Amino acid sequence: MSDLICIVCPNGCRLRATYEGGELKVEGNKCPKGTEFARKELTAPTRSVTGTVATVFAGYPVLTVKTKGEIPKEKVKELAALLKRTKVKRVMRVGESVIENALGTGVDVVATTDMSKLISDGKG
Amino acid sequence: MKYDVVIIGGGPAGLSAACAFERKKCLLIEREGRLGGILKQCVHDGFGVIRYGEKLTGPEYAERLIDQVLTKQNVEIALKTFVVSIEKEGDLFRLTLTSASGMRTVETDRLIMANGCRERTPRQVGIHGTRPAGLMTAGVAQNFVNLMGLLPTKRCVILGSGDIGLIMARRLTLEGAEVVGVYEAKQAPSGLARNISQCLNDFGIPLYLGKTVTRVFGDERVTGCEIASVDEGMQPVAGTEERIACDAVIVSVGLIPENELSETLGVPMDGATKGATVDQNMQTEVKGVYSVGNCLHVHDLVDYVSETAETAARAIERERSGGKRIAIGRKGFLYFVPQAIDTGDYDGTLTAYFRSAKETLRATLKVIVNGEERMRRRYHNLKPPEAEKLTIELSLAPDDRVEFELEEERDE
Amino acid sequence: MKTVEKIRKKILKAGIDGVTVTRHNGGICLSGEVGDYETVLEAGRLAVDKKHSRGVINDLRVKGEVENGMKVPCASDQSLDGRTPDVLVIGGGIVGCAILRALSRYEIEAMLIEKEYDVAVQQSSRNDGMIHAGIDLKPNSNKVKYNMRGNAMYDRLSAELDVPIDRCGQYVLFTAGWQRLIYPLIVARGRKNDIPLAYLGKKKMAEAIGSPGYGYGGFLCQGAGIVSPYLMTVALAENAVTNGCEVYLETAALSVENDGKRVTAVNTNRGRIYPKILINAAGVWADKIAETAGDRHFTLHPRKGEEIVLDKKARGFGKGVVGRFELKGSSGKNHTKGGGVIPTIDHNVLLGPSAYEVRDREDLSTTRAGIDAVFQKQKSSVTDLKQSDFITYFAGIRAATYEEEFVVERSPVIANLIQAAGIQSPGITAAPAIAEDVAKWVGEIFAEQNRPLAEKQNFNPYRKGIPSVQAMSKEERAELIRQNPDYGEIVCRCEEISKGEILDALRRPLASPTIDGVKRRVRAGMGRCQGGFCSPVVTALIAAECGIAPEQVTKKGGSSRLTLGRTEEEQ
Repeated sequence: MSDLICIVCPNGCRLRATYEGGELKVEGNKCPKGTEFARKELTAPTRSVTGTVATVFAGYPVLTVKTKGEIPKEKVKELAALLKRTKVKRVMRVGESVIENALGTGVDVVATTDMSKLISDGKG
Repeated sequence: MKYDVVIIGGGPAGLSAACAFERKKCLLIEREGRLGGILKQCVHDGFGVIRYGEKLTGPEYAERLIDQVLTKQNVEIALKTFVVSIEKEGDLFRLTLTSASGMRTVETDRLIMANGCRERTPRQVGIHGTRPAGLMTAGVAQNFVNLMGLLPTKRCVILGSGDIGLIMARRLTLEGAEVVGVYEAKQAPSGLARNISQCLNDFGIPLYLGKTVTRVFGDERVTGCEIASVDEGMQPVAGTEERIACDAVIVSVGLIPENELSETLGVPMDGATKGATVDQNMQTEVKGVYSVGNCLHVHDLVDYVSETAETAARAIERERSGGKRIAIGRKGFLYFVPQAIDTGDYDGTLTAYFRSAKETLRATLKVIVNGEERMRRRYHNLKPPEAEKLTIELSLAPDDRVEFELEEERDE
Repeated sequence: MKTVEKIRKKILKAGIDGVTVTRHNGGICLSGEVGDYETVLEAGRLAVDKKHSRGVINDLRVKGEVENGMKVPCASDQSLDGRTPDVLVIGGGIVGCAILRALSRYEIEAMLIEKEYDVAVQQSSRNDGMIHAGIDLKPNSNKVKYNMRGNAMYDRLSAELDVPIDRCGQYVLFTAGWQRLIYPLIVARGRKNDIPLAYLGKKKMAEAIGSPGYGYGGFLCQGAGIVSPYLMTVALAENAVTNGCEVYLETAALSVENDGKRVTAVNTNRGRIYPKILINAAGVWADKIAETAGDRHFTLHPRKGEEIVLDKKARGFGKGVVGRFELKGSSGKNHTKGGGVIPTIDHNVLLGPSAYEVRDREDLSTTRAGIDAVFQKQKSSVTDLKQSDFITYFAGIRAATYEEEFVVERSPVIANLIQAAGIQSPGITAAPAIAEDVAKWVGEIFAEQNRPLAEKQNFNPYRKGIPSVQAMSKEERAELIRQNPDYGEIVCRCEEISKGEILDALRRPLASPTIDGVKRRVRAGMGRCQGGFCSPVVTALIAAECGIAPEQVTKKGGSSRLTLGRTEEEQ
């Protein structure tokens, strides 16, 4: 039996997951996403990661980014370290890939701010 | 220059209001160089689940609104522009604005205040001691990290378990700083359970309840702080002090709606929300002045910030003249918004946002009209830090007396 | 010997053992070891004999305790080594800066050193900014003499230096009915010092202060006013610099050398300086400077005061300073200042200050108990004060002598030493008058060396302050923005401070390119959000203006960096 907090949405349902005859049973969730979350959390937990990467543009020192999807939880710190070593050299728009297939997870790191609204002379 | 509507504040509330206008000619005023308000620095995700059905980051939520507002022909945007003063002349508001291009006066008879909120400061929660660098609010730390790419600490204590405090704990950890712990004076965390789980538990950051920072040490930069347990009256208990070495104390101890501009117009405030008292259309008691977003009351979710703004915008666009204003009686709530109903522009559906006065396992919300119960609704696990939204069909006559009551249910 | 004997007996009679009383340099010196600091203070007070002694030198120690030394800046170089200024002023408080400005009208090389990152960092920015009427001062004291002269100089000073003052008056409340009976005595005392007073009955007083008060009425001292003490200090220093004087920040006088007749050199963290004349305006450390300069006849005992700053919104109670009538001894044990409810020139309200003795001369920390007590006390005079209006609070350390008197003198022992020490309230008011006397003595010393002081041909007494867009008319403001668009862009939203003003602060004759230095000059970050919104922007402006990386920007010099590095990892 495991007690979990569903992190899918701000509701933060308190879940109780139990295996009954090999079947996972989840209680406390307000929606089906809770069951899915519990299943993943107990077998192969994943997280999305957000943060920033440096840019080469003066007056625009960092670009905000996120993983486009979730990566294995145990790779979160490694990804954060990768972001710290990443520097963007062209103007990015929301959703554009900053790092493709980050750490071999198959998940891209994408921009979450539109730099072009502030920087028009980009080389992109 | 005269506008149909002037919106003050280019954060999510002001942007949402501007986007909701189809015909009215609007001026959207933002004091910073970029639209988006505080969302620009909220790089984490969880925004827009209700509005867009997606888990967006703060900047993405802002970008969607910005993209939309930029397409609107009826909205003029004034960036790096600051409202110096507002004079009221009958139904007309005359705003004096300053920007690098000079001083300018604009007129309108509809004002939407979307000023957002500010953070409570370390001094306002009784942190004593010296005044070194490194004692800062979570918002300042967040700005340094997420907008300027600067690391404000290598080893810090965070005071306050609100969402911003929790999110900064994770953010700083991912940037390589050590978060010694998150301390909360109350006996229960203020932030969402989900954030305790994914921001603290995922990284093994301890959460201490019933403890607060009482003083900081260090002349130039913080060298440490003193933690003490607090009693029921939230006062530090002598003899429980412990000293922790750190280079920063990051304080996330609540937000205060910014209403200094509204106050100059004589807009009455609700002592509980610290925002204006409004009707269901977000109109304050001063005709033509609307209050939306976090300056109205501090929201948990940006989705509802947008919603209050759109409500105001739609009401303005409907152009219905107001009628009799019924004050809503409120009992058992920490607060309840709106505080009144304008019967002249009321379509029979009431949307309200409230916080329970106390933590309850089960509670009943009763709607009482003219002393008679019209309807009731049951709630589970209400907590003051978690706001609830309520939408009901409620037909009313101009002379009705309306009361909302939240009652704790006890086990029989 | 008679005095020594008398004091020894007095101390013994008070039950204090182990104190050796001797004569030293015209003063009374106490030495030995006692059990606690309270005893040190008590013995010191008992040793006061203004008639027969120049002052109390209190070398008593508390068993097993070591006094904290001066905090010294970490900067260390030889940039001032070998310099031979005509005059060296130690200390960039309001007294030191007023002296430097007074000297700046003469053809001499005058230099001021200050150990902090800016002027007005210690007590000159940690007081209530009152220009005192002087009614509570003892007649014939140095304090009252300089206060009355200084008060009279303030209007001109304000006009010349473009630093606003407000003669808002001081309302003194009676706290008991019987005090009305002694009002004629107060008036008589006022007359002696030329202080006009006006009696106010219960009703008029309540109206004037916007609060019922104690319900016994009181009186108004019209001559009282308020000024920003740190802005005045900065302005004095700036004007002196404009007129050719030099100010060196983060430069500490570590010791002075003398040959028994003259000061020969001053050792600093930037090398050894050989001044022709030394002026000791070293605040809480002035007794230590006096000691190595060769004329020690007083000891300073640090007395802390804590004050609360209220939101501008709290200023609903009227215009003037509100104080309470208190009878107090001149050097008695209960030297507790009453404090008051004091408007600031920038429309905030100050509560306090308190007064209590501490050990550490640079302990500028506030305490919960201290701030609570200040609030409760002032709430008794102005009843509708609210804790939710607190913006911040601060503490300062007064440099009190045991005589509770200013030491302002040309040294009778060391020919080229002038001291302006033991300055506490009413130091802000007194500073310009003290400076006037000091400049006169500098002239005397020069005359003795057959080098009469010549006035500068081009001395400019005027300083133009940094424009304040918030205080301007719309037309003036529009014109200013036309000339320089930076004045149109607001950076500090609470205090409505523009980018132009912040850049001005960084480009002044005496700049302190730090967050607090900017704040002291233009108030960015002094409002209700306490820099929450503007400090990152000000950080960026300082970095750009000074050509340094943003992570090098400090709050107040030294190691007070706001951020500790970049999030980006260098590769």
